[in-house]
Amino acid sequence: MNAIEVSELSKTYGQEIKAVDNISFTVDEGEVFGLLGPNGAGKTTTIKIITTLIKPSSGLVSVFGLDVLRYPQEVRQCLGYVPQAVSVDGDLSAYENLLIFSKLFYVGKRERDERIKFALDYMDLSQRADDLVKHFSGGMMRRLEIAQALVNRPRVLILDEPSIGLDPGSKKQMWKYIQKLNEEFKVTVLITTHDMMEADELCERIAIMESGKISVIGNPRDLKRSVGGEILTVKLSTNSVPSSLSARPTAVLGSLSIPPELGSIVSQEEDTLKIVTENGERAIPRIMDYFERLGYAVESVSLNRPTLDDVFMKYGKTSLERVGVYGEARTQRRAIVRHSR
Amino acid sequence: MRSTAIFGGSYISKFATSALTIAEMEARKIRHDSTELWMRSIQPALWLLIFGEVFNTIRGLAPGGIPYIEFIAPGVLAQSVLFISIFYGILIVWERDFGILTKLLSTPSPRSSIVVGKALAAGVRGIFQAIVIFALALIIGVNLRLDPLDVTGVFIVVVLFAMCFASLSMVLASLLKTRDRMMGIGQAITMPLFFASNAIYPVTLMPIWLQYVAVVNPLSYVVDAMRSMLLTGDYAKLPVDIFALLLSTLVMVSIASIALKRLIE
Repeated sequence: MNAIEVSELSKTYGQEIKAVDNISFTVDEGEVFGLLGPNGAGKTTTIKIITTLIKPSSGLVSVFGLDVLRYPQEVRQCLGYVPQAVSVDGDLSAYENLLIFSKLFYVGKRERDERIKFALDYMDLSQRADDLVKHFSGGMMRRLEIAQALVNRPRVLILDEPSIGLDPGSKKQMWKYIQKLNEEFKVTVLITTHDMMEADELCERIAIMESGKISVIGNPRDLKRSVGGEILTVKLSTNSVPSSLSARPTAVLGSLSIPPELGSIVSQEEDTLKIVTENGERAIPRIMDYFERLGYAVESVSLNRPTLDDVFMKYGKTSLERVGVYGEARTQRRAIVRHSR
Repeated sequence: MRSTAIFGGSYISKFATSALTIAEMEARKIRHDSTELWMRSIQPALWLLIFGEVFNTIRGLAPGGIPYIEFIAPGVLAQSVLFISIFYGILIVWERDFGILTKLLSTPSPRSSIVVGKALAAGVRGIFQAIVIFALALIIGVNLRLDPLDVTGVFIVVVLFAMCFASLSMVLASLLKTRDRMMGIGQAITMPLFFASNAIYPVTLMPIWLQYVAVVNPLSYVVDAMRSMLLTGDYAKLPVDIFALLLSTLVMVSIASIALKRLIE
């Protein structure tokens, strides 16, 4: 069954601004699905329409078959939403945050206490259960937000930029918890991110979004493969040119070729070869072996795997790295955390 | 309704649960830190202790021969609740700036129950303030009727009044959207509301045009109701006062329920 179905969805502000422009995708039950794209691509707008916070201009969105416009409350009962900004209340303790939101989710009194205790333990927050959340670190706040999902048990967890402003350690920990939640509790997860590492690490499938449109949907591995194989850069030592050949290296390397099962040479500059191959890690020893048997000494080999950024470059117009929004968003979240009253 | 089929339980009980939970949230916050509310008590205390005491020396300012300090006590009580609730929208804008408002609206709780809950939360703050002013008035020897029913009545009026103006404040927040503007508008409307009411002088002393303003000013009805319960025991106008207050509260809460979504768009 489709957990989320989005069909020909558009959201227009005023006459001009198309925040979301005719997009369609489905999220299968039990998968981790990512919307990847730079800030302003329309990811958050899409999520807000799914969570019934804003109304679509046109198109259909349903969650487990429930239309978001006709059954907004029922839809929200299925969803756990972790917005981009801090959404736990700093003036309440961790326990109280879980308690209040479980009541707003109508979790029965009997399950409530048990689940809160479990969630605090599971998220490693038991020690700080009665402390005010405003004294928590950014990572702890995010963990508390995930803990809410453990108490309310939504069928779909929607996270908007879950790792913004977290240090690398907390970010990894966050990924681990999201994965565990998906595997152990069978929660369907929809995340938005502009962090390619995150999309690569977490998502079974991603949709690349830019300027309100989805340019491609697929699993990260296939998408990277579609950009082209992995690239090996092999530098041969000019001092070790076999004596039977001429002393001028360019002439020597002029017409080098390798067996097709190892890959194919795409470019050659003096003593440096670029070889495209299916699986770079496996090809390295074989290629070295091949050249050494021919009598060349291999000076260095480096492996470049296509990243999602390459995928993005191919299907979108800009590079995520060049968009330069990452640092900005990070400062934003920090400022919010610091101002918590 | 489909909701009954899916959640089980009635819509009304869910609505009440959500609204009370939001109010509980506020009560828990006050329990953790009530400094702000204590500081907010300073101003009404000064009105009572300085303004009240000074004008108390003028005979005949208050109608019916009651001492001025007794006349002004319900007015000051109403004023302090007005201040608390008119600035309540700032907290909403604050919660919007974090993700808390978005989060609240993404729960299955009906949107209007969140608004009613927030309005009730302002009522919780109003009750805290009322208790402080009550105690202060009694300490400085203001002669108030302490019949339990009357006191309960006053608290109900305080809650309704706070709900009414907190809702107005939420409507303003949905239009103005920033904390600074909310501060400005709050300052701009509290004093006119206060002076164009019967809080610190009887309506009969006002110029005619101001008397018309006082008639449509909800604050007048609130002060009137409080005076009849705390001072005179004359309930003749009480039904009108309560009706006017209920009506304006209902209207404001309804507008706020519709307006709130503007804040997160």
